Amino acid sequence: MSLICVKDLRKVYRVDKERVVALNRINLNVDPGEICCILGTSGSGKSTLLNIMAGLEKPTKGSVTIDGTDVTKLNEKQLAVFRQRNIGFVFQSYNLMPTQTAIENVAMPLMFRGVGRTQRTRDAVEMLRAVKLEKRMMHRPTQMSGGQQQRVGIARAFVAKPKIVFADEPTGNLDTKTTKEVMEIMVGMARTYHETLILVTHDKDIAEYADRIVVIVDGNVVSDQANESIFKESVVPGMGSHMAEGGNGDEKSS
Amino acid sequence: MKLTDMIRMCMSNLLKRKIRTALTVAGVVIGTCAIVTMISLGLGIQASMDSMMQGMGDLTVIQVYNYNATPDSTPLDDTMLESIRAIPEVVAVTPIMNESSSFVIKSGKYEYQGSVMGVDLTALSALGYGMEKGELPGAKVDKTTILVGQEAQYYFVNPKKKNQMWGMQYDANGNPLDPDVDVMNDKLELSIRITDPNNNKKVKPVKLNCIGVMTTDWSKNPSPYGIFMDINYMKELKKEYNKINGVKEDKSKKESYENVVIKVDDINHVAQVEDVIKEYGFSTSSMESIRKPLEEQSATIQMILGGLGAISLLVAALGIINTMTMSIYERTREIGVMKVLGCVIGNIRAMFLIEAAIIGLIGGVIGVILSYGASVLLNSMASNGGGSGGGLSGIFGFGGMGGQVSVIPAWLVLGALLFATVVGLASGLYPANRAVKISALSAIRQE
Ligand SMILES: Nc1ncnc2c1ncn2[C@@H]1O[C@H](COP(=O)(O)OP(=O)(O)O)[C@@H](O)[C@H]1O
Ligand SMILES: [Mg+2]
Repeated sequence: MSLICVKDLRKVYRVDKERVVALNRINLNVDPGEICCILGTSGSGKSTLLNIMAGLEKPTKGSVTIDGTDVTKLNEKQLAVFRQRNIGFVFQSYNLMPTQTAIENVAMPLMFRGVGRTQRTRDAVEMLRAVKLEKRMMHRPTQMSGGQQQRVGIARAFVAKPKIVFADEPTGNLDTKTTKEVMEIMVGMARTYHETLILVTHDKDIAEYADRIVVIVDGNVVSDQANESIFKESVVPGMGSHMAEGGNGDEKSS
Repeated sequence: MKLTDMIRMCMSNLLKRKIRTALTVAGVVIGTCAIVTMISLGLGIQASMDSMMQGMGDLTVIQVYNYNATPDSTPLDDTMLESIRAIPEVVAVTPIMNESSSFVIKSGKYEYQGSVMGVDLTALSALGYGMEKGELPGAKVDKTTILVGQEAQYYFVNPKKKNQMWGMQYDANGNPLDPDVDVMNDKLELSIRITDPNNNKKVKPVKLNCIGVMTTDWSKNPSPYGIFMDINYMKELKKEYNKINGVKEDKSKKESYENVVIKVDDINHVAQVEDVIKEYGFSTSSMESIRKPLEEQSATIQMILGGLGAISLLVAALGIINTMTMSIYERTREIGVMKVLGCVIGNIRAMFLIEAAIIGLIGGVIGVILSYGASVLLNSMASNGGGSGGGLSGIFGFGGMGGQVSVIPAWLVLGALLFATVVGLASGLYPANRAVKISALSAIRQE
């Protein structure tokens, strides 16, 4: 049974008199624990797909069912509660609260859920250790580099142990070296907690971190394949043996 | 989301923009100061007015007169008094009769030269006289019972002596001297006055029993400056006087009191009781005719002063709305992020309302403290200025009487705090609704 079922999803934007078809007819199923990359050029409709899957936008047609709930049918209040319980987010521009420390930022999803201060601080500290920011706990976003801020963002996305984490161009603002660090941490965390990760990118190198790559062109899925290259030790060091057990090692291409 | 967490988030937002917060709060401070100071001045005027009115007379007493009595008009007799007594708001009724010239009260060689009033002695305790000595009579009285006014003690003089001084006498040190007659213990005798010196009829003096001395109090009505005696006994004595002196009574004239005093339970019932009595066809007078316009005038002044204050708080409210709206534009992305991370819209609205209410409350607290200082300053200026006849008490006219030109009671403090908070909260309504409408997508969009 799939965790996410996207069925006949269509999204048409109206700009003045013109109609922009962002998503034509998307069908997609994602299993629990899968790391799924949505790959496509700019303007292909990746973000639109991710936003609709996360319930941030309503589709023109079609449905998105997450764990049995059709999120396109929920109202704003139900969606907020649904996101509290099931969904984590990693943003391209980090989007940390400027007035809050790293701990407070990471603890925020727990605070919205009504978790007490002591408990959520403990969880946040644990997450910050996991992203190797134990020295930055009390720092504010402006006192951290982009890579560090995105690690805080990742800690925040995973702290509430959501079923799914959505990441839209998480490394879009980072340099190559930092991108590698951040991707390893994020993918590692998804594997550690057996969480589903939907990763949106235009960058083929980043797609290599996923189990499965869905290629989108002009609002249509043109290719949906398992990613064999993840078995390469060089791409994801230390992850290969772990994944080799569950992977479907057909052929080792490219 | 927990309330304490929401408050903590608000505080951190307010502290992040310290100068802007301080300026917004300053607006509320000025507004609160204006309202509290203005109202306190209004209350000061009211207090001075009240104490002035209190000095002028008992505000709950109504005088009833029967000036234009005709043979057909309703008499102001005992039956009528019963009807008046039956009005629920009336607590005491007494007719007043003044017959000082019909008899003589003596104590040994001293003769009383003051006035003697017939009243309903049992009504006196409800009218509330202060006692120098003895007690006010209870429900039942002997007809020879009398009460003597503090001043009246000094109106016993020896008619044989020349150049007698009337009234209170003082020794060299300014202490009042004891009166010649001790009304509580000395023998007091009343006898009918005989007008014709050739009339040889003998009158037997009656022994009077004084049960108390009443404190001088000109605000009381009737004022306790003379001697009070039972009105029915006075009527008897008057009949006897007429018989002895051969005065013919007009049998056709109905018995009617000329003057009756009524005490009402509450100052606010005076006007309505007066109306009832006017319906019966009698003239009335009370402090109401003076108090009412003064009260209305002081209410008008208070409203004008309070209104001036309210305008400045209104300006402060606009300041809060402006600040909050601006900060929402700045925080659009933050608000979007909070929504994406699962903050329900109710919590977002609450956070902005709390933020606005905190600005109002802090402004209110500082405002009240400053007004308190201003009030102390104004009052000390007024009391200093009062001595030289000018100053602030001169400006406000009444300051000299009450001593305080500005009065801040507890309700004004609490009211001001509540009002400032509510103004803050109300100012937060529009910005909070804007914040709620911000789309979660604004967190995702790239600028
Ligand atoms: N809010 C919007 N209004 C109008 N057109 C939009 C809107 N959002 C996206 N689009 C259009 O939809 C298409 C897909 O956009 P998007 O999903 O952001 O692409 P990607 O994330 O793959 O770069 C683009 O042509 C874009 O111009
Ligand atoms: Mg995009």
